[in-house]
Amino acid sequence: MIKRIFYILIGITVLYSCRSGGEKPQDSLLEIPDSVLNEGVLEISEEVMQDIVQNISSPVEMAYLVKELGVPFSNKYLSPTDNLEDMNNSFKQAFNLGIYGADLGYLNMYNKTSIVIDYISSIKVLSDALKVGQFFDFTTLKRLAQNNQNLDSLMYISVHSFNQMDKYLRTNNRSNLSALIVAGVWMEGLYLATQVAKEAPHPQLAERIGDQKILLNDLILILENYKSDKQFKALIDDLKVIKDEFKDVTITIEKGEPEAIEEDGMLVIVQNDVSIVHITDERLKSIINKTEEIRNRLINL
Amino acid sequence: MKLTIKLIVILLIIFGVNLSAQDNAQLVAQCAANAGNVTYLKDFVVKLDAGTPGGKAPTAKFSMVLSKSTVYRFSICTSPSSEGEGVLQLWEMNNMLGSSFMTATGKDYPFFDFKCQKTGVYHVFISFKDGKPGDCVGILSFVKKL
Repeated sequence: MIKRIFYILIGITVLYSCRSGGEKPQDSLLEIPDSVLNEGVLEISEEVMQDIVQNISSPVEMAYLVKELGVPFSNKYLSPTDNLEDMNNSFKQAFNLGIYGADLGYLNMYNKTSIVIDYISSIKVLSDALKVGQFFDFTTLKRLAQNNQNLDSLMYISVHSFNQMDKYLRTNNRSNLSALIVAGVWMEGLYLATQVAKEAPHPQLAERIGDQKILLNDLILILENYKSDKQFKALIDDLKVIKDEFKDVTITIEKGEPEAIEEDGMLVIVQNDVSIVHITDERLKSIINKTEEIRNRLINL
Repeated sequence: MKLTIKLIVILLIIFGVNLSAQDNAQLVAQCAANAGNVTYLKDFVVKLDAGTPGGKAPTAKFSMVLSKSTVYRFSICTSPSSEGEGVLQLWEMNNMLGSSFMTATGKDYPFFDFKCQKTGVYHVFISFKDGKPGDCVGILSFVKKL
């Protein structure tokens, strides 16, 4: 009997070790330090947070808009990757993971595969430190970037890896880190838009920046769950300073009924409710300046 | 002997769960690729049990922020092993904006585009026709700026 059990245990071990090595199983995670776990009771429930947090900030859309406007690529919009050793706690690691995630979206959008490797390496370091590195397919991303091939796959794997990390954190009592990643992505997206707006003003860009008023409210709401932590409190205070800059940005809605039409056999839903952002040049300028000041301080904490 | 059976059950459970996760990952990748020349943003993996007779079909809900002047594509792919066929609906507050299944015509669409004109929170609801149990994947992709 003992022999039989022994053989079964050996069988389990062999079968497990024979599994494909590309993606590590979630079960193989090392123990998570207490410092990266949620503590205390959330002010808003996880369910409500899930309602808000999905796609609050996409690294793709802002980068696409900038590229569409014909703005040439510039690495001065990127966060430097030479201070990784200073990111020595989970707060800094998660926030900067979001920052680099947004930068990766920008780099992918412009097909800057030579610089991408530097960013995916940094993302790998930070995600490993947060024990979510198993969701970041570093090897495949590096190969795609080095060979300058299949750029669609590069984009897909980058975005999908971040989604997997986010899902894992949210379902494993580490929503605080997920919120920080989202905050980092949002901050860097706003920084990119405002820096471009400073050098190449465009009404579409101004409107997109004004739109951030809606997202910023939700972001602060999520982060306030963790305000008992002094680092979170400081970040919330910074975001509230930016929020104040948006105070006289107004958004009005023109009502209309949605239409469903078929174009070349494809279903297209046209929304006829239209939001209109009202933002003055002076207000835009002050948002640009405040965003620059706060983002540069946050990435150098 | 009881212990042996327990170990075998544990083994099957472990492998069953991992196979399911792998299937989902493949379905997400396949569905994202089928969406066409667009940029993948999010996926919604759904597994639902059968609804109760006469009751409402079980539904999964996902919320997201969509931006003005952007065309998004919502795709749905039902797993080949699924009994029920997945339906994806897009809602804003209490208004349904679009669906992958048009009740009036009985026509299914593997995906539909949404021309967003208002930045805000939107909701995706995924259910299975006739409240059947099933597995499917919804994909949100970015098409272009308007």
